[in-house]
Amino acid sequence: MTTFIDYVLGGLGSGAIIALMALALVLIWRSTRVVNFAQVGQAMFTTFIALSIQTWTGSWYIALIGALAAGAVLGVIVQYLVLRPVKRNDTSGAIIATFGVLIALQAAAGMIWPGGSQAFPQPFNNSGIEFAGRVWPISIYDFVVIGITALLVLGLTLLFTKTSLGLSMRAAAFNPEVAKLSGVRVSRVLTFGWALAGSVGAVAGILVAPVSTISPNSFDILLVYAFTVAVIGGLDSLIGAISIGVFTGLIISLVSGYSDSGNAPVVALLLLALNLILKPEGIFSHHKARSV
Amino acid sequence: MKYFLPLTDPILEIVDISVKLSGLQILDNVSIGVPQGTVTGLIGPNGAGKTTVFNVISGFVTADSGYLKVDGKKQKHVHPHHLTKKGIARTLQGVGLFPTMSALENVMIGGSSQVRSGIIAQSLAMPWTDVEQNRLRAQSMAVLGELNIAEAANRLPGELPYPIQKRVALARALVSDPQVLLLDEPAGGISAADISELAELIRSWVPKRTVLLVEHHMELVMEVCDLIWVLDAGKVIAAGTPDEVRRNPAVLAAYLGEDGAT
Amino acid sequence: MVNLLRLPGARFLSHLAIVFVIWAALMRINDGIDPLMSYYLALAAMYATAMFGMVILVGLSGQVSLGNGALMAIGGYVFALTSLNWQTVPILGWQWNPIWSMIFAGFGGIAVGLIIGWIGARLRGPYLAGLTLGIAVGIPAIATRFPEIFGGETGLMLTVPYPTGGYAPTVELAPIDEAPLDEVPLEQAPLEQAPLEQAPLDTETAGAGDMLTADNFPSAESSPAAGDMLTADNFPSAESAPSVSALPSDVALPTDIDPIAGGDALLAGGAFVLERWQASLAVTAACIIGFLALNLVRGRQGRVWRAVRDDEVAAAVSGISPAGSKISAFVVSSFFAAIAGAVFAQIISYVGPGAFGLGLSLSLLVGVVLGGRASLGGAIIGGVLLVALPQLVFNIAGDRGWPANVTDNAPNLVYGLLVVLVVLIAPGGILGSLKDGTRRLLAKSRSAK
Repeated sequence: MTTFIDYVLGGLGSGAIIALMALALVLIWRSTRVVNFAQVGQAMFTTFIALSIQTWTGSWYIALIGALAAGAVLGVIVQYLVLRPVKRNDTSGAIIATFGVLIALQAAAGMIWPGGSQAFPQPFNNSGIEFAGRVWPISIYDFVVIGITALLVLGLTLLFTKTSLGLSMRAAAFNPEVAKLSGVRVSRVLTFGWALAGSVGAVAGILVAPVSTISPNSFDILLVYAFTVAVIGGLDSLIGAISIGVFTGLIISLVSGYSDSGNAPVVALLLLALNLILKPEGIFSHHKARSV
Repeated sequence: MKYFLPLTDPILEIVDISVKLSGLQILDNVSIGVPQGTVTGLIGPNGAGKTTVFNVISGFVTADSGYLKVDGKKQKHVHPHHLTKKGIARTLQGVGLFPTMSALENVMIGGSSQVRSGIIAQSLAMPWTDVEQNRLRAQSMAVLGELNIAEAANRLPGELPYPIQKRVALARALVSDPQVLLLDEPAGGISAADISELAELIRSWVPKRTVLLVEHHMELVMEVCDLIWVLDAGKVIAAGTPDEVRRNPAVLAAYLGEDGAT
Repeated sequence: MVNLLRLPGARFLSHLAIVFVIWAALMRINDGIDPLMSYYLALAAMYATAMFGMVILVGLSGQVSLGNGALMAIGGYVFALTSLNWQTVPILGWQWNPIWSMIFAGFGGIAVGLIIGWIGARLRGPYLAGLTLGIAVGIPAIATRFPEIFGGETGLMLTVPYPTGGYAPTVELAPIDEAPLDEVPLEQAPLEQAPLEQAPLDTETAGAGDMLTADNFPSAESSPAAGDMLTADNFPSAESAPSVSALPSDVALPTDIDPIAGGDALLAGGAFVLERWQASLAVTAACIIGFLALNLVRGRQGRVWRAVRDDEVAAAVSGISPAGSKISAFVVSSFFAAIAGAVFAQIISYVGPGAFGLGLSLSLLVGVVLGGRASLGGAIIGGVLLVALPQLVFNIAGDRGWPANVTDNAPNLVYGLLVVLVVLIAPGGILGSLKDGTRRLLAKSRSAK
């Protein structure tokens, strides 16, 4: 039983990070009906930027702010230059374009930051906390990760429910035509959505980097997990992304703990396939994934 | 309230069909019969559930209760792509043509249920696949000729005027040689002159084929139909010959506010 | 007037003629070029084989798939496992032959394609893309999970049985080792007999890693690991990689292998040239698959796929099962991918998770989008592009003296940007733009008259 609890605790941090990345995918899907497969590429890029800032200034906080800003800027750039000009009925085109961006970003990162995998300095103590006579598999850093995730979720919830900007975002996502008629500047709102998603993804990136390493491709598996989570949660549900994200983190931790970490991606894939067979529209959504 | 008509020889019947979509009762215990060899109309104000009736018949919408009878046989769930095998063909609202294919190719797709050769024979380009396609091509050209649009055969739909596109869509439905033809607003977006031609065309198919027609254009409906069913808010409110329906106060009431639109 | 092309069997004959002319021409070219070029030809043909399936899946049936690299892995592993473990055909008891392995690889692809297609046919665009992305990552992960079967991260070494037919391998081939290679664990496999400078025969080793770049030959010495540009995973770097050049000549080979190409093509000054044999194998496979693809695309099935892509509802009321059509596209494309994977395994004499990773899947998508996703010619252009563009970039980089990190990543940067540009400006890809261009020119000249 104690091992079970250990695995659960150990999965919380990674679950929070997966949830954040899934949240970024959901934010963009809600606003533009595009799954941004370049999201992890953007996060990887901004994490490299954060690493440079950290090396230069020595401050993790400045690096975090830098990543947030860079994420927003990159999100806006991708939306403006790539996704907006894609023809509306060309869904294949939009998907392919996001992969084009992913490939280009990974190559660009490889050019700018050579040397393959790099370690990201630990901003906080990442060894297990000693409490009640034993070492628990959860660290100060895990608490920071979970705390930042909770703060972001709280902030987003407030944004969507309490502010007029959040309301216009929901209106624009729900029905752009009607929103336009009622005076919402839809394109501006959508761009804001991309910026927001870019920042959220950037946070996921800077949080995951210290516990893994960072290289142009190191987040690829995170993309698979995040997509799985976003789909199972129902692509347009923030709550779905968060809860399924944390749940998936636990599953990965349990699978890795009881069997082998190599099984985790396979289990995630099985979960995804199962979900797509049984309830493709996701658990938290009424929206249809199947076509007629 | 339910209407019992002296339906002789109904080829298509829907019986006690109810459909609820996202909380809304679209069809409420609807029963409609289409007698063999007639042109039967299905009318009603916007949102009455006419197209949903078509969608139930063609299997796009599953009814919560009730069933469908084709030629006296009760049908379980109908898959849309099995419709032509049962001798039923349908047109779609608008045109619904494949934009990247020529008119002839569009019509040839309509004959899919006749194709027997499988993917292995096709991947080896076996001679009999050519025979099959040649036959289909000839049939398609014949139907295009019947509808006087043979010269449009090699044009893309986008290059053709709208009324011609509608005819190509008709040809695509006709090429499977259906017993029953479901026409979803065949007169939508075409001119008065074209409509009278269309009326003639529809009458020329009966009694060999049976036609069920959803249409807003009242003159056309009154001109071509032998029997008319009137739906309002998911219920059958009247049925009868064009004259009977025209005089029915319930029908008038239902259309009030719509003001005889179109 | 009787249209000759409409006569029964005319399509078969004309397609056969087209494919035969291309096959003969490529075989002829293969005969006259140096071994490195033959090696590139083999890779391009292998890519084209897989991308014929991408044209059908992505272009005609409208399903964006990132999983075709993983489907190639299915073909590669089935080929490797059957040819390593089976001496006779099960049940029938006939003598084993690589052709059998190819056929079994194809069946493996069909089986997996059926499963993925069944799940995928019910899904809309982004859902399908995500599912296949998961497959692209997941299938190689399965290979790593069961090292006793699939050789784990290091993969499986293959002894490619090339036609001996009395031609001895060239002297440059690495020293012949005592043990036949099949089933020799990797650690014991003869490694590194040939120094890298002995290229081109070593290029197989180097080329195995890099998916998008076809071959990292020019940079192999400076950075052995630079190969995997798109791959997250680590292909065993050059030091640890088994050297393919250590092909023993006395491997027990089935004696009844027909040389796929005429013996002459395999000879350079009377010696066997491995790359020429690889190219003839890949070109022949590409032509057979190309023939099937041509029949399907330029026939009823192509129309059916396009119909479902254009309008599922209209296709359904016309009597086509949209799900059936999408599944058939998946099955066909995974069959093609599996055959390509089996060819790839033979070219690099190796199967491993690194060689069939996400990078390979992405490169197939890149190739077919750039070449033109709507027609088979696009796949051929894509195949050439995937091999030629990195070389071009490397040449430019070499002339300018760019540092290795820039050089290694430049092809992918170009690919990524080109993909975005093609989607935005010329969705038809290179081939589509050429067609549009000629059509416009023709229209202009007509109106000028």
